[in-house]
Amino acid sequence: MIVEFGAFALILALVLSLVQTGLSIAGRLRRSALLAGAGEGAALAGFGALALAFAALVHAFVTSDFSVANVAANSHSEKPVLYRVAAAWGSHEGSMLLWNLALTGFGAVLAGRGRDLPRDLKATAVAVQGVIGTVFLAYTVLASNPFVRLVDPPVEGQSLNPLLQDPALAVHPPFLYAGYVGMSVVFALGVAALVEGRIDAAWARWVRPWALAAWSFLTVGIALGSFWAYYELGWGGWWFWDPVENASFMPWLVGAALLHSAVVTEKRGALPGWTVFLALAAFSFSMLGAFLVRSGVLTSVHAFAVDPTRGVLLLGILLATAGSAFALFAWRAPSLAPGGVFAPVSRESALVANNILLSAATLTVLLGTLFPLIREAVSGEAISVGTPYFNLTFTPLMAILCVLVPFGPLLAWKRGDLAPAFRALVPALVLGVLAGLAALWLLTPRKAFASLGLALAVWLIVGSLAEAAQRIRLFKAPVSESLRRLRGLPRGAWGATLAHAGLGVFVLGACFETAWKMEAAQTLAPGQSLRVGAWELVLKDVRKLDGPNFEAETARISARRDGQEVCALNPARRFYPAGGQTTSEVAICSVDVSHLYVVLGEQREGADGQPVWLVRGFWNPLAVLIFAGPGVMALGGLISLTDRRLRLAAGRRREAKA
Amino acid sequence: MAGMVVFWTAAGLLAVAAAAVILLRAARSAPQSGVEDPTLDVYRRQLAEIEDLADRGLMEPAEREAARAEAGRRLLTAADASKAGWTSPSAQRPVLLAAAGGAGLAALALYLALGQPGVPDQPLDRRIESWRSGRLTDLTPPQLAAVLRETLKVRPEVEGFRFLALAEAQSDNPAAASRALRQALVLAPQRADLWEMLGLSLLSRSGGDVTPEVREALAEAVRLDPGALAARFHLARGRAASGDVEGGVSDLRALGRALPAGDPRLADIDTAISEAAAPAAPVTEGPASDMIGRMVAGLAQRLQANPDDPEGWVRLVRSYAVLGDGPRRDAALEQARRRYASQPEILGQLARAAATEPMK
Repeated sequence: MIVEFGAFALILALVLSLVQTGLSIAGRLRRSALLAGAGEGAALAGFGALALAFAALVHAFVTSDFSVANVAANSHSEKPVLYRVAAAWGSHEGSMLLWNLALTGFGAVLAGRGRDLPRDLKATAVAVQGVIGTVFLAYTVLASNPFVRLVDPPVEGQSLNPLLQDPALAVHPPFLYAGYVGMSVVFALGVAALVEGRIDAAWARWVRPWALAAWSFLTVGIALGSFWAYYELGWGGWWFWDPVENASFMPWLVGAALLHSAVVTEKRGALPGWTVFLALAAFSFSMLGAFLVRSGVLTSVHAFAVDPTRGVLLLGILLATAGSAFALFAWRAPSLAPGGVFAPVSRESALVANNILLSAATLTVLLGTLFPLIREAVSGEAISVGTPYFNLTFTPLMAILCVLVPFGPLLAWKRGDLAPAFRALVPALVLGVLAGLAALWLLTPRKAFASLGLALAVWLIVGSLAEAAQRIRLFKAPVSESLRRLRGLPRGAWGATLAHAGLGVFVLGACFETAWKMEAAQTLAPGQSLRVGAWELVLKDVRKLDGPNFEAETARISARRDGQEVCALNPARRFYPAGGQTTSEVAICSVDVSHLYVVLGEQREGADGQPVWLVRGFWNPLAVLIFAGPGVMALGGLISLTDRRLRLAAGRRREAKA
Repeated sequence: MAGMVVFWTAAGLLAVAAAAVILLRAARSAPQSGVEDPTLDVYRRQLAEIEDLADRGLMEPAEREAARAEAGRRLLTAADASKAGWTSPSAQRPVLLAAAGGAGLAALALYLALGQPGVPDQPLDRRIESWRSGRLTDLTPPQLAAVLRETLKVRPEVEGFRFLALAEAQSDNPAAASRALRQALVLAPQRADLWEMLGLSLLSRSGGDVTPEVREALAEAVRLDPGALAARFHLARGRAASGDVEGGVSDLRALGRALPAGDPRLADIDTAISEAAAPAAPVTEGPASDMIGRMVAGLAQRLQANPDDPEGWVRLVRSYAVLGDGPRRDAALEQARRRYASQPEILGQLARAAATEPMK
């Protein structure tokens, strides 16, 4: 009964999305608060219905109801409860339901909380959100329904891919989808602004919190996915330029560009056309990601293998939704006022440079992702575009961006002066150069580009703090005055400082880890050891330790430095009988912010006939910073979001209290 | 029947709740008609913020003046453009009621077309309970295994695990059978028959190869019961396969002598002896070919553990073909063909791999 109730609730959500669209359009056309309000009510009710549908699916997974085809294909009764819950979004159908839940959730927040928005704009935005919801819910109900039943249910399910049975991956999709789909509100506000013909400073302020929230969620989602790949796949890397990783990275880059462009539009009324273009592009890239992951055109550890028919349907949704929005843009853009003028040296110019670089970077990623697919479709020849391509195209663009980042906040609006900005950045420059030279001289092997990367990282971190220091007049005013200014600094400014510093932290970790990581692999019998840099890994023994739904070989490895044991590591190799798959469970020993990373490979027969195991060890210096950096960036985004100026309806509440 | 009543009541309540939310939200929105354009509020707040930042010394005077002038201009423009004019005509209320009620009815109609009303939930616990309460002889092996698994969770005992292992093996799930036997052996480590069963179960997982794991289990069975015939047979086979042909054949012959004349198992022993004594393929001599053989065996083992690897199967078939090991090549080819029966591209690759000339 609960399963069928979920199926009904899903269908009701689809109908409510249609009602939301119809009532909101009618409300806007007739300027009727009654009808527009009812449209908002449909958005709220639609989210409620979908939340119930989602709960029903989770219940089916938890109780191992294999009469539901999706449960039978993706779960197993012996799986721990957490992974049975997470399996609800581990498959294509279930993840579409999660996508729709996030979509209607954001739509409900827009409908319920957007009291600051003018009625015309809000009604149109709620209608657009309703159209997007209708399209995706119709696709889910008719082509990817997670509640399809089996006449003759199997006794046991086929289980979820064991690689996905992981705590990080259980929470990674909800964050990622919140980011992807959060951009739908930005998209809806963009389309609404084009329809209403009003893209101004106020509109940019309304868009910013949504973009900020979606971008922060996306940052956390991507970082979690990267962390999962780092420790679950056992390859020792954290980013592989996999097309599916790129699919999530592109909306992130566009979202970052949008956040900066929207500031220019809000503060100066400039770049309105460009800002709305980015607002449309951010969600279009999210939809492109959904298509790439689900169409079956990609084979990846991250992709859902789905048949081409449903892929074509998704492509149709992408083309119709994004195509009509960009057609509207092409029609309306010429009539947009260009906005305020600014000098070549100004904060606006710095932000424009930021946008050019981020957009160019997005295009390089897009080309690197789509070109192999297009070439294979046209010529049938499979090629792969890997790290060398991205190192030659994406990395230089990002390096230039990193050089420019600290300048932006130090320049005045409209007409800036470079000299004071340079003066404020002298400490960052000196420390950056010193760090780069120190790396070049002290670290072996000597690596010029990586040393340059370290210099850039220090430049970014210190440069971000320099801006805050200048605002509070650190060392230029009495301490009490600086403290007073520090307390008065808006949270938005703190958020920007943290986000820029977080980028520096990430660059530091990424450069260090990539350039100076060490790796060694050897077959070991118990008692033998492997050397990784300064570390000695001694294999004590390998035991069979079975888990709830797997059989495992678990090694006990002693990690020693200078003869002293620093860590006891237990890497494992698991065999999941339900799916017949084997996975590696990496053991990581954190030493300050670096990782000693050990993988247990397959068992082999040694020279004397005794079993030996392939053990791979990695020393990943400063690896923690790779994941901490995006964490700091996301924190910056969330702190900005709490800035009173960005909160929706803040002014109304203040007035109400007065 | 009761389930259907509950379902339709819940579905009806949900549709009514959705309609109520629509109507309540409309009612709450109605009195707000004619309020001021919030754009003005945004610009007023922007002006106030500029003053606030300037007062706290966070904005230079020149910047303050420029920003104030710009925000002021925006406020004036917005005030000029501000258009209210939103109403809440009561004539639209019937439309609203129809939309709110119609949503539930439309969902109901669509559900009747797409859903399966009347199909009850089938949580595994409840299904197992119904199997348990019926006749065990009517159950299929997977159902019996599920019932036994649940029972053994509450009351673990040796014979139960042994039956579970048999049911799992019949369900074509040798991994689960091995697991059940290991659990039985925790409770009764001195039972030779269980060690022997475990060895045989592991043997079926390894495709007949006497791996160290298989050897360990069978050796334990023979240690506890020197008369464990199946264990002795496979240990002898394994000994011959690992290179000690003479020792393996000798063990097999000893086993044959222990059986009474006319025992049908003698035929198996003779076959094993002739297989063990057959001349080795030419490429399996020398250290390099030993290494190749180990690599191929490793690949075969990996594919048993993780069979969804078309490239691996093609490589395995080609390797056996190159090594001149016809029987293994054909067995691997057959296994891979069954697995990828619907993928002609892979079947073609497999056929080409099988046709590879043996290494001279």
